[in-house]
Amino acid sequence: MDPMVLAEATKVTEAIAQSGLSLTGLGCGIGAGIACVGGGIGIGKIGAGAMEGIARQPDAGGDIARNMIIAAALVEGFTFFGIIVCLIGLILG
Amino acid sequence: MTLNSPLLAITNPLDHVVQHPLPGTENWSFSVTNHMLMIFLAGILMLIVILMAGKHRTIVPSGLRNFIEAICVFLRDDLARPILGESTDRFIPLIWNTFFFILFVNLLGMIPIDSVFFGTVHHLGGTATANIWVTGALAIMAFLVTHIAGIREQGLWCYVKNFIPPVPVALIPLMYVLEFAGALIKPVALSVRLFANMVAGHTILAALIGLAISSGTFVALGIPVGILTVVGCALFSVLELFVAFLQAYIFTFLMAIFIGAAMHPNH
Repeated sequence: MDPMVLAEATKVTEAIAQSGLSLTGLGCGIGAGIACVGGGIGIGKIGAGAMEGIARQPDAGGDIARNMIIAAALVEGFTFFGIIVCLIGLILG
Repeated sequence: MTLNSPLLAITNPLDHVVQHPLPGTENWSFSVTNHMLMIFLAGILMLIVILMAGKHRTIVPSGLRNFIEAICVFLRDDLARPILGESTDRFIPLIWNTFFFILFVNLLGMIPIDSVFFGTVHHLGGTATANIWVTGALAIMAFLVTHIAGIREQGLWCYVKNFIPPVPVALIPLMYVLEFAGALIKPVALSVRLFANMVAGHTILAALIGLAISSGTFVALGIPVGILTVVGCALFSVLELFVAFLQAYIFTFLMAIFIGAAMHPNH
């Protein structure tokens, strides 16, 4: 990286750290937020696909709904994984 | 309820979900925590409830027996039999036990044992599955059952050979690395999914109630915020009850899938 840009970035980081703001907290907060965005989009797509499938074939409604819940729980598992990593970083950092 | 009541500890929402030594055992050389008490209680409750359900053998089940039997038949016919086929009867005790244990432990975590029976926070109750070691132990058990069942079904050489999908010879070492990593990551994901769901749910509940308490310093603000938070917590607790059932089902379902895939890999 360009040494002048590196010097500027180091000065900014030190100024933020000295003024009492917490870069750890910022990083963990943004990370948890982005994890939630990913989970929300994924589960939204699962729900949309399930609605469309039920609309095409109402008889298969029960099966489709059960599979939707299972897939949503799997996606939510990874969303929570990201949130817990951010929480651990916040508490230990 | 004075301002220096133990309820102020609720303003730290994580205090509610971590494990605490039981009152009276703080200075022991080994720890006896409230999560251990909850696991023990869940085991005793399972014995009582399920043995009570199995007592009166009539042709047409009713009441508690009907409820337990409906859940067991659902788990056997709609979950285990499509996945495991003929070896359903061999693994169905494990599947029933896992489902009921996780369900009872999750539901015991939703019961406010401290507040109802003692009025203050002694930390006697809690959600045992909000403890990474408890869910980790369940995941280790699933891991061991998966691989031991696969090796006993196919023999060690066939199991190792069928571990990877058929690929060109040059890719086989890479596939073994990937499958090995997958075999380690699957139990980790299983345990973290259950752990994170329970921790997040209870932390949100504790944070909402902490919000109501900390806004209680302004009387004009405290009462409407308090009403809204209590209603919100009640609704969120209904969601938590649904999550308790769902996470027990998901853990059991994924364990059944891993056992089925280890015994009959359809590459």
